[in-house]
Amino acid sequence: MKRLYGLLSALFIFSAQLTWAQNIDVRGRITDANGAGIPDASVSIKGTKNGTKTAVDGSFKLNARSGVTLIISAIGFSSKEVIASSDNITISLALDAQGLNEVVVTALGIKREKRSLGYSTQTVGNDALNKSGSGNPLSELNGKVSGLTVINSSGDPGGSTYIRLRGATSITGNNQPLMVVDGVPIDNTVNNYDPTSNGFQSSGANADLLGGAQPTNRGVDINPDDIESVTVLKGPAATALYGIQASSGALIITTKKGKMGKRGTAVAFNSSVTIDKVSHLPGLQNTYSQGSGGTYQAPETGSSTSWGARIDTLAWDGSNAYAFDKNGHIVNKSNPSAKTPVTAYDRYKFFQTGVTYNNNVSLTGNTEKSSYRIGLGNIYQTGIIPLSKYVKTTFSLNGQSAISDKFSISGGVTYINSTNDKTQQGSNLSGVMLGLTRTPPTFDNSNGVSKASDPASYLLANGNQRNYRGGGGYDNPYWSVNKEPFNSKLDRIFGYGQANYQLFDWIGFTYRLGGDVYFQGDKNAYDINSRAFASGAVYLTDYVNRQFNSDFTINLKKQLTSKLSAALILGHNYFVLNQSNRFSSGTTLALPNFLDISNASSIISSETEVRKRTMAFYGSLDLSYNSMLYLTISGRREETSTLPVSNNVFYYPSASLGWVFTELPRLKNNSILSFGKVRASVAGTGKDAAPYSITTPYSTATFLDGFTGGITFPINGVPGYQISSGITTIGGGQVLKPEHTYSYEGGADLGFLKNRINLSVTAYYSKTTDDIYPISLPYSTGFAGKVVNAGSIQNKGLEITLNTTPVKTKDLQWDVNFNWSRNVSKVLSLYNGQNRFLIAGFGGGEAEIDAVVGQPYGVIYGNTTPHSDLNNIKSPLLIDDVKGDPNYGQPLAFGVGPNLVIGNTNPKWIGSVISTLTWKEFTVGAQIDVKHGGDMWNGTRGALANKGTAIETANRGSNVVFNGLLGHLNNNGDVVHYDADGTTEIAGPGLANDPKNITTYSQYYWQNIGSSFGGGQDFDIQDAGFTRIRQVSLTYQLPKVLIQKIHFTNLSLTIFANNLHVWTKYDGVDPETSLTGPANAQGLDYFNNPGTKSYGVRLNLGF
Amino acid sequence: MKYKILLIGIAATVIFQSCKKTFFTDINQNPNVVSSVTPPLLLSTTEAALGYTLGGDFSRFSSYFDQQVFGKSQQSQTIYQYGVNAGTFDNLWPDLYTSVIENNATLMQISDNGKYNIYSGISRILMAYTLQVAVDQFGKIPYSEAAKGNLAGGSLTPKYDDDKALYDTITGLIDKGIVFLNNTDAGAITPGGDDVIYGGNAALWIKFGHAIKARLYIHQSKGNSTMANNALTEIAASFTGTSDNAQYTWFSSETAANPWYQFNRDRPGYVTFTNSPFSDLLTSLADPRYNIFFDKANDGLGQNKNHYGGLAEYYGAIDAPTEFITYDELLFMKAEATVTGKNDIPSAQTIYQNAIRTNMQKLGVSSTDISTYISANGTLPATNAAAISKIASQEFIALFLNPEAWTTWRRTNSPSLTPVSGTNGVPRRLEYPQSEYSYNTANVPVPANNNTLFTPKIFWDN
Repeated sequence: MKRLYGLLSALFIFSAQLTWAQNIDVRGRITDANGAGIPDASVSIKGTKNGTKTAVDGSFKLNARSGVTLIISAIGFSSKEVIASSDNITISLALDAQGLNEVVVTALGIKREKRSLGYSTQTVGNDALNKSGSGNPLSELNGKVSGLTVINSSGDPGGSTYIRLRGATSITGNNQPLMVVDGVPIDNTVNNYDPTSNGFQSSGANADLLGGAQPTNRGVDINPDDIESVTVLKGPAATALYGIQASSGALIITTKKGKMGKRGTAVAFNSSVTIDKVSHLPGLQNTYSQGSGGTYQAPETGSSTSWGARIDTLAWDGSNAYAFDKNGHIVNKSNPSAKTPVTAYDRYKFFQTGVTYNNNVSLTGNTEKSSYRIGLGNIYQTGIIPLSKYVKTTFSLNGQSAISDKFSISGGVTYINSTNDKTQQGSNLSGVMLGLTRTPPTFDNSNGVSKASDPASYLLANGNQRNYRGGGGYDNPYWSVNKEPFNSKLDRIFGYGQANYQLFDWIGFTYRLGGDVYFQGDKNAYDINSRAFASGAVYLTDYVNRQFNSDFTINLKKQLTSKLSAALILGHNYFVLNQSNRFSSGTTLALPNFLDISNASSIISSETEVRKRTMAFYGSLDLSYNSMLYLTISGRREETSTLPVSNNVFYYPSASLGWVFTELPRLKNNSILSFGKVRASVAGTGKDAAPYSITTPYSTATFLDGFTGGITFPINGVPGYQISSGITTIGGGQVLKPEHTYSYEGGADLGFLKNRINLSVTAYYSKTTDDIYPISLPYSTGFAGKVVNAGSIQNKGLEITLNTTPVKTKDLQWDVNFNWSRNVSKVLSLYNGQNRFLIAGFGGGEAEIDAVVGQPYGVIYGNTTPHSDLNNIKSPLLIDDVKGDPNYGQPLAFGVGPNLVIGNTNPKWIGSVISTLTWKEFTVGAQIDVKHGGDMWNGTRGALANKGTAIETANRGSNVVFNGLLGHLNNNGDVVHYDADGTTEIAGPGLANDPKNITTYSQYYWQNIGSSFGGGQDFDIQDAGFTRIRQVSLTYQLPKVLIQKIHFTNLSLTIFANNLHVWTKYDGVDPETSLTGPANAQGLDYFNNPGTKSYGVRLNLGF
Repeated sequence: MKYKILLIGIAATVIFQSCKKTFFTDINQNPNVVSSVTPPLLLSTTEAALGYTLGGDFSRFSSYFDQQVFGKSQQSQTIYQYGVNAGTFDNLWPDLYTSVIENNATLMQISDNGKYNIYSGISRILMAYTLQVAVDQFGKIPYSEAAKGNLAGGSLTPKYDDDKALYDTITGLIDKGIVFLNNTDAGAITPGGDDVIYGGNAALWIKFGHAIKARLYIHQSKGNSTMANNALTEIAASFTGTSDNAQYTWFSSETAANPWYQFNRDRPGYVTFTNSPFSDLLTSLADPRYNIFFDKANDGLGQNKNHYGGLAEYYGAIDAPTEFITYDELLFMKAEATVTGKNDIPSAQTIYQNAIRTNMQKLGVSSTDISTYISANGTLPATNAAAISKIASQEFIALFLNPEAWTTWRRTNSPSLTPVSGTNGVPRRLEYPQSEYSYNTANVPVPANNNTLFTPKIFWDN
């Protein structure tokens, strides 16, 4: 022992002498476990502030005394200490297994250790983004991030997905987070045109899509297979460097890339097949026939309702010459011509099984100094609605190269081509669900044919439309899908080029130029005899979107002392947007079956061009002390073209502080609390106005009254202009200024038991003032509205993420992750004492989503059935005590109560549980999402109850005693009731409805009282909360040994199911639905297209 | 190196700052709209907007309430049965104010500024007619502070003007309009094809102005011979034949189609025509206009070559006219005023018969049928009240689908109508729209819960 000690001492002295003796150039490379170089790793000499950073390929050179200890650290890796030697050393760093030093991509693509952040972020990796086979990156985020709301509008191929972080801050502005791909903002707008409403309805955030074709937001274009990770920057402090565009948060998307340093090429291939079935549908009655008052009325009468005779009293006469029913005319069973009893047709056999094929292949190649990746993806999807289809092909290419130690370049480009055959939806004569669900059970839309494209279902011999209303009313859904095609084609290219120059260790420059350009060409045609356009129409819409983004940054870094380091970024940003839309409508077609604009006798064209520029200077200073305290201060000064020059400058300050208190000596290496950080941040952000908000122009005149197609100039060749009937801003001394949001956030990140349990809690508060929005004016001003700065919204919320690994052995690992969030918003004020603002909906104070002062953002406002306290929909209903009224003993008819807030679309909380159990080669995954509360206006139910097809109307004729207080409204609209003798009106409601007042559910009841469609809209407010098995999957991974034998690197097979089951009180289509698509107004269901549940299998292989 | 970059940065900043104005302002000019227009571009708009609003919502509401059409299903059924609320009128009101009045007010302003005197005159006659119709339907409405939302200092919550005072405003507009139309200097720009109503004929516009004034007086003439005689004076200065009729004739294009054609096209089955109290009235009178007004075979859902449903060609075709004031209406007014103002029933009877004849000739009724009809219905009773009732009943028929028919009924209670529902009688006004209660709350003259179809009545309705 002593001898050994002596030897060691001698060695130590010897080496010490050596190190004392000479300075050497230490050269080396820092790599990860796979041998790929780690760029920007820090190599420092222990005990000093000297050091360097590695180049992009991981190499470094450092002049040091030999024998000193080098500390190698890189974000995301465990740090390592080595003795310096002059040999060309390769130091391999292990990934930080505990995720303590997880790297996240923050604003502007700056990579930072998660532990150093003073604000909340959450990252979703690529394996979590390819689970459903849908190829929709936004939809894949559902339930995976606390505080992120994701709503799929429907299950249609190419359907839209709405995303929102925390709450809405803008009354009408875009409340969706910015999408950034590899440092470049990309477009996520909806471009859609609804000819039945004569307008580009959804070019902005305030989309008002009540009808038309199912919209698509362009964010769904990205192929999730190309994505390495999505980092969700939730609050303003995280996004303040981005300025205006990211004031509602950001999704920082990093694409997959090759990794320099490790030579070789790799191929990855995955393929999935998914089968879609319709998930939820409104219940329909099968007991009563078309007609009214209990009498059957045949299709040719045009009867719109199913209040006819009981089907079991009816028979077909067997006539095979009857165009409306292959089984013959429907007659009473007593009729001599009666042959076979009528049975109800299944209207829902309209839906078919959809199939999605999703194939992706990529090639990655690496050398010491460069790398590339080529990805090719294809999705071929047919929908549950016949003839709906979505085909998307993506091609991506990126590469990076270290030209010298100091200079590196990188770039990437993605090309997307898609074509989408959409279906008509919503409040729309062509809407598939509208025509389908209103169809009586005695009418077979398909006319017995099995092929959806067979004209025998929808076409009469004379060329007229075959539908249950004898050619009137709404389109036969088969007509709609065949004769009213809506095709949307997209060519899109986005990408970036970037150059980095590291002048010295402490200063580098980065320039990045990115762009997103796409062409979307839509064609929507209506053949002759379509209900919305009886003489046929063809609409061509071309959208060209060009946006370019330039960022120049100077990156400075300095180790100030051995414990204190600083990083400073100074940058300049320039952003330009140009959207050109060309629109042509051709009406009155000459020939049927020729849906070409040349076939139109009247053609009108128009164009819109939206232009915008912003320019900004920004800076961010990061200070870190002893791996424990992290302070970031940033600022951005931005100018926008959309505000008056006198008022067009924004300042965005932000500060955030993170304190990793487990670095305190007394807490370090604690066996229970392995990691602990508290953080706090404050930030100010803002938004500008929409382009052209500050002038009142003239435009080609067009008038509508809600009932007819209206008038559009030019008329008879004569032009006509109107002063903007929409929005004005001139005059009134109104000068727009920026909309401001201040937000405060605090939270903690805690790791327990060697980080087997990780808890992250964030609370936030934000307040927006000077909201820019178009206030509604009384039309008597000559204008519908005016853009002003007014109003204020506050959001408070709590987000919790809990990641646990309850079991971890050699063969078995079980991870369970929980996400939970709650946001409470409140509209604090609106313009000049106004207390209500229409966000979107049917308008006129009915069935609309509103901002109402004192209420959460996004409440449902509508007319009500009179309650005993008229202004309180929770008070007992008023039960009509006027003898002789058709509704005597029932609630009052026509929804004549005051218009009130009747629902809140915001859930109380949303949460998810994601479980992954791995046993040897098997992995079982499951995700359950919960949305607790949140109302929906189920207008579908209301209309179907009125029409007598809703399942609850099968109770017609059954007795009912309504609970409530007796009374009625007098001529002044006040609640009164009759005294005992039934003649004198006494103020206020009377006694509870006498149980003797037995009434029946009648046609009158369902048409005028018990539904939104004639009665009060409060009857159709439903809790759209749900518990959903979002996904279950089983993966078998071929054992490594076997894989290597066949020279593969990966081979696995997964079977999965999406939306396996939904528990909900909502009785319409899937409660995750949105009539207006990806717009601020969520919570309306009016003949929305249904969602899907799907089953699939996926093969992954790599070699 | 870094100093160079710094210099470039400073230079770039200076350049950016110096071109900041154009850099940010030019791009915020919408290239797809215009910032100024000439009168023809607004006159064509105003006339079409007026035609669409009058022949559309105004005509439909009044025809439900005076029972000239039958609300068979959907909203038409509900409204027909008085199941309305303020929201029901939220399509009519914006058409009235933003499409008709705002564009017309802008036209008036541009024309006055440019001394385009014919346009100044026409815009006033159009404004007068618009206000006359609106006042007769709503009562008090905003005008003096209305349509100024884009002007510096313009009210964003316009006050409501008294309905009786608005009649004086209308008279003033007409008088001033006639002065402009009589100006020997027509102005640098004069109307032509943009004036669908009169093709720029100033003399006809003057006659139209007098016809509007005739209406104002006749509305106030109940038991008031002065008003009746004033009406006669105006009538004498007004139309002299059917070719003078003020009407907007629509075109054979689906986007410039007659509003009733559009309604029957787009809302099949909402209304029917041949089972209304009005069609029963025609049947009871063996009126030859029955088959000119109605297409019984297609009522409800059918379709004929140029019309949909049960409204036949004359009023239902794609290019059917929307009538504002016609010569036959003037003759009915003249007959009534002759009774009230001159107590001269024999003269009134001649005028009355001429009114029926003129209307029937306009509609293409054969002369034999006209003679038969006049011999059956052309005799006026001997008392003033009964004579006026009979004149009004025939005028009501001649005013088929014209909102003035409802006014005629409200003035005269003729022909007799039975309320469709409830105990409040037949409606006597339209309700103020919800949008005014929401955004102009303080000014709407009727509390929301008193805003009914029955009260408050228009000032002349007693």
